[in-house]
Amino acid sequence: MPDRLSYDAIVVGGGPAGTAAALVMARGGLSVIQIERGRFAGAKNIFGGVFYTHALADVLPDYWERKPPFERPVTEQGYWMLSPDSALRIMHKSEQYRQEPAGAYTVLRARFDPWFAAQAVEAGALLITRTTVTRLLKDARGFVIGVDTDRPDGQVYAPIVIIAEGVNNLLTRQAGLIASDLPPRYVALSVKEYLSMPPKELQARFGLAGPREGVAIDIFGDATLGLPGTAFLYTDQAGISIGVGMLLEEFVCHRLRPYDVLARFKNHPVIRPYLEGSESREYGAHLIPEMGYDRMPRLAGNGVMVAGDAAGMVDALHREGTNLAIIAGKAAAETALAAHEQGDFSAAFLSRYRRDLEASFVLKDMKQYRHMTDFLDSTPGFMGTYANLLNDAALRYFTAHGIPKRSMEREIVSLLRERRSFTGIAWDMLKLMRAMRG
Amino acid sequence: MHAIVAIKQVPDTSNVRIDPETGTLIREGVPAIINPYDIHAVEAAVQLKEQFGGRVTVITMGPPKAAEALIECIEQGADRAILLTDRKFGGADTLATSYVLAHAIEALNAEWPADIILFGKQAIDGDTAQVGPGVAVRLQIPLITYAIAIESFDPVARTAVVHRRIEQGVEVLQTRLPVLLTVEKEIAPVRRAPLPRMITAARYQPEVWTAETPVAFDPRQIGLKGSPTVVGKAYTPAPRAGGAIVTVADCGVEAAVARALEVMGILDTVRSSVAASAGVEVA
Ligand SMILES: Cc1cc2nc3c(=O)[nH]c(=O)nc-3n(C[C@H](O)[C@H](O)[C@H](O)COP(=O)(O)OP(=O)(O)OC[C@H]3O[C@@H](n4cnc5c(N)ncnc54)[C@H](O)[C@@H]3O)c2cc1C
Repeated sequence: MPDRLSYDAIVVGGGPAGTAAALVMARGGLSVIQIERGRFAGAKNIFGGVFYTHALADVLPDYWERKPPFERPVTEQGYWMLSPDSALRIMHKSEQYRQEPAGAYTVLRARFDPWFAAQAVEAGALLITRTTVTRLLKDARGFVIGVDTDRPDGQVYAPIVIIAEGVNNLLTRQAGLIASDLPPRYVALSVKEYLSMPPKELQARFGLAGPREGVAIDIFGDATLGLPGTAFLYTDQAGISIGVGMLLEEFVCHRLRPYDVLARFKNHPVIRPYLEGSESREYGAHLIPEMGYDRMPRLAGNGVMVAGDAAGMVDALHREGTNLAIIAGKAAAETALAAHEQGDFSAAFLSRYRRDLEASFVLKDMKQYRHMTDFLDSTPGFMGTYANLLNDAALRYFTAHGIPKRSMEREIVSLLRERRSFTGIAWDMLKLMRAMRG
Repeated sequence: MHAIVAIKQVPDTSNVRIDPETGTLIREGVPAIINPYDIHAVEAAVQLKEQFGGRVTVITMGPPKAAEALIECIEQGADRAILLTDRKFGGADTLATSYVLAHAIEALNAEWPADIILFGKQAIDGDTAQVGPGVAVRLQIPLITYAIAIESFDPVARTAVVHRRIEQGVEVLQTRLPVLLTVEKEIAPVRRAPLPRMITAARYQPEVWTAETPVAFDPRQIGLKGSPTVVGKAYTPAPRAGGAIVTVADCGVEAAVARALEVMGILDTVRSSVAASAGVEVA
């Protein structure tokens, strides 16, 4: 019988939430073991993605000197509304975006996550990869006291376990923090492809002045066949990240295959020219929890806390997730440090974690957009109808037909009425405003 | 018992792509792994240690990044890992590599003579299978290649019985110790490392040996200088054009053979010789 392996804290998962938690606890002087099932932290993690630096600065103030593997700063961003053959683009470019360290960078997780995890290791955390946590260990009182893994002699003990397992929330369920799996209505499925392209070519196509410029575009409408969902197109250092995401329920109801939707999107006449000649390097699918504020799990139990995607901490509207995960991981870690100081690992004491998050943007934003998923669900034609409408209106507005402008305006108005009645539009807008204001 | 295992970190060739313009491997972005045969060699050594006690030492020559592969060996149960890394070792062919490894093993032997030295049968990035044999020759010890099983091992009587794969079957050899084996995967299935070993390995730092310390290597025999091999040209052979498939069940044996001979361009010769021996003329 080998000696029992004991630490001050166990972190499950090597994504942004887990690593932030491990880093903060290790810096706070706790002995921390972080367990990741992938070959290395980030091995299987994919996201869009745009990474927001404010959260990183919060846990690692000198991150810039540590040379994070960022792809490109986001110096131009905005939305494209696609109809089947056109695009209305609203892009924002600003000198403000050009100051580095910038507020947002494109990032490839297979590069970023290992770098971030290495910072936690440097702070003293012990990172064990290629190891899956299979269950939580509990004592007679029901307190979580450790975890079991898929390795021989695989049990580890600690008075506190932070679950940062991502969207597949098996352990969160086992901890009794959430009743069931996410219903398809509250989880989005996203497919992403990474296409490589020489930087010079990439810059020419996207109008970028050099490697210190990049674009992030979120795309609606025809990209998802007009169904609620979004697509994205982001520039990396020497490649493009492109993907589409929709609620799992939409894929099921409309019998769509995610890869077909992406292939169709890539073939859109406005999109295709940007991709031509690029080479596919990476392809993958990932879920995004969109259960919203009201269906989040409890964040703490006896001896356990949950952070990041596992807790549903995603702001889908602003494609934010990694920053929420990092701030939550940090908040959980601070609570763990306090718990060690007090010697109290009860759910009652750990509830301070939730209070901290309620005071931060993490749960404030979650609360504000609590009805967003339901709004899109109850207004299924929203994206398609308006994207087409805007494109058709733009076409009339920008084309010289040799007809008086007054009739052109009337034509646009009647277009609107054909597609959606004025009261319908007013109603949609009202609902949208409500959903946005929380 | 002291076992020394020499391993190599290689690009995961199942993930490798060839640059169509230059014909060379694109190594960028290709994950590095421990050479698949080598991990079985480590496992075989660890099993001997479990049976007889002692130590397993793992060595590799490679870039600093190769430390990852050594740490994986510590996970699997090795006790000590040595990374031979120095720019001066760079560009080595199999001759220079076998010199460096043999010289390092001699230094280790001075501390605790090895009873057995193990290599994988070949590295998947070069497939030469020359380094293990090269080391055996330099150390002047018996060599058994393509080993698939260690039937018996007696560190006291200093003998072992080893099975090796040959084309016709299996050869069973008795050898004195120390012996050098290059192994197939069958030598020992790799077991999943226990969590405590993973923890030991995560904290483990391999020893780093340079070209000068703690052992001095002969500068003329290492790296590019010590490597007479010249790579003339590397290229991807043009894929062979697919052959025709003739189904015997459809057309009968004779027609199938005739068709095959025709495709190979020898049917006419055969016909005329058959005809000649039968005394008939061919149209
Ligand atoms: C297509 C897509 C686009 C996105 N775009 C953006 C974007 O642009 N910007 C943004 O900020 N966010 C974006 N997100 C959201 C963001 O990726 C997530 O919110 C964030 O990764 C959550 O971090 P996490 O640490 O909670 O979980 P994850 O990053 O999922 O990490 C969980 C880790 O735990 C490991 N793990 C799971 N179970 C176990 C177990 N039992 N044992 C051991 N290890 C385990 C996993 O292997 C994984 O490494 C996007 C997501 C997707 C899918």
